[in-house]
Amino acid sequence: MRLKPVLPILFFSCAVLCGPFFITSPYFLEILIFIGIYSLITLGLNLLMGFAGQISLGHAAFYAIGAYSSAILTTRYNMHFGISIPIALCMAAGIAYIVGVPSLRLKGHYLAMATLAFGEIIHICLNAAVDLTGGPSGIAGIPQMQVGQFVFDTEIKYYYLVWAIFIVLFIMTQNIIHSRVGRALQSIHGSETAASAMGVNVANYKVQVFMLSAVFAALSGVLYAHYITFISPQTSDLMFSIRLVTMVVVGGMGHIWGGLLGAGILTVLPEFLSIFEDYDMLIYGCILLVMVMFLPGGVVRGAEVVYSKLINLIRRSKGE
Amino acid sequence: MSETVLQACNIRKEFGGIVALDALSFDIGRGSITAIIGPNGAGKTTLINVMSGLFPPERGTIVLNGNAITGRKSHDISRLGIARTFQTAQIFNNMTVLENVMVGRHTKTTAGMFRAALTLPGARREEKQIREKALHFLGMVGLRDAAGLPAASIPIGNQRLLEIARALAVEPDVLLLDEPAAGLNTQETRTLGELIRTIKSLGMTVIIIEHDMELVMDISDMIMVLNFGQKIAWGRPADIQSNPEVIAVYLGEEE
Repeated sequence: MRLKPVLPILFFSCAVLCGPFFITSPYFLEILIFIGIYSLITLGLNLLMGFAGQISLGHAAFYAIGAYSSAILTTRYNMHFGISIPIALCMAAGIAYIVGVPSLRLKGHYLAMATLAFGEIIHICLNAAVDLTGGPSGIAGIPQMQVGQFVFDTEIKYYYLVWAIFIVLFIMTQNIIHSRVGRALQSIHGSETAASAMGVNVANYKVQVFMLSAVFAALSGVLYAHYITFISPQTSDLMFSIRLVTMVVVGGMGHIWGGLLGAGILTVLPEFLSIFEDYDMLIYGCILLVMVMFLPGGVVRGAEVVYSKLINLIRRSKGE
Repeated sequence: MSETVLQACNIRKEFGGIVALDALSFDIGRGSITAIIGPNGAGKTTLINVMSGLFPPERGTIVLNGNAITGRKSHDISRLGIARTFQTAQIFNNMTVLENVMVGRHTKTTAGMFRAALTLPGARREEKQIREKALHFLGMVGLRDAAGLPAASIPIGNQRLLEIARALAVEPDVLLLDEPAAGLNTQETRTLGELIRTIKSLGMTVIIIEHDMELVMDISDMIMVLNFGQKIAWGRPADIQSNPEVIAVYLGEEE
């Protein structure tokens, strides 16, 4: 049986709460904010890839759709966040539905190609629709988030905002995984034929989970846009989609903590490696390669194996 | 025989010009065990695939409990009351034994994405029921002790039993078993026969494809013999055993 799933998230919430008492430098806080923003996408992407077994190489597009929708509505139409954010999320869900219904009939490489093409189309549109999106120069002056008189203008405020949202969505995702819906998604990953023989409406669930992961990505894009207050097509290119998938794979596909861990590793690693100057990308690539080769189940499962071996070792040494 | 639960009328299925099933009609009585036998390539698995909605027939109708189910999707047919196992066990390798069976409760439960995400009291109660039912059916096939294991880690014989437990969890009217005894030893086959009898005693109708003649003759109420997609014989085990045409095509010609 699984460990009681409540304990780890409780522990993690405490760590998040106490974090800023130890980390006060705005530079480190900013890194933590970015980990939070990326973890939101990888949480949804892991549900799609790791649990339901459907790959997407186009999730940067949903991130961009969220960021641009809210940015355009707040800068051009002076809309309040309370309205722009729901609209941005609905936009992402709607587009995910339109893209998902035909492309989720495809499998494996073909689905990867279809979602990749979708990502590129959005990327090209963002560059080309200059009147709406500002083209390659993007949109500047996006307002900061504000509730009443309270403006999320410092690193520490934004840190708590992002991580509070993450923890809420994490708990909801965990609930889904351990439910009838989560099992249906996993059964699709296991065998589509058997899943539908058990009464699971495979096509329907695939579209649902695709939409849900798109909404997570869009929310993450919204948080990014109103934090940096600037957005351009560069922030959501193909490389970003690939990095998101890499985060999930490195962290641990099909493990609820995998997305978070992968986002953490892939965000922190380049910062650390910058001391190697010209060789940083080379070393970065090598580390990723080694991780994928030796930890095919992701870092989370590697950690689980090490942990259980340690426990066994301690038990044995006590017994003798 | 009692009331009819499943009725097939004039079923025809082709694959690229090759006729797999031809003008096939039969009635299955509620609560009976029917075996489908025949040489390899006779169309037995195709028939099960058509009945469970994996693909539609070119012609003909299938009626379950008085409702036509021809051409409906697999997941609809499962909800309407037909569950099945597969010739090569198709268990969900990424889940535990218990979770596999819990998937079988899908059509009997209702929690959607949002209700599940918020884990409302109703969803929690439903989840508890799913778990209890799943454990009950696991116990029926004798796999209760393996509940927490990864499904991929249990022996192939047990994977077949797991598939049966998963199909039982659907609580179908009709259970289709595609060669459940393949790869089992004599003792396991005997246990399987007992299990199928128990399933029948619960009021379920069983249709079984099987090559193990001892098992077939032992448990079946009726036997249908297929050859080249056509029904060549239909009757009680004793009649089938003495049917000269069946002996010729299947059981081997007498000298």
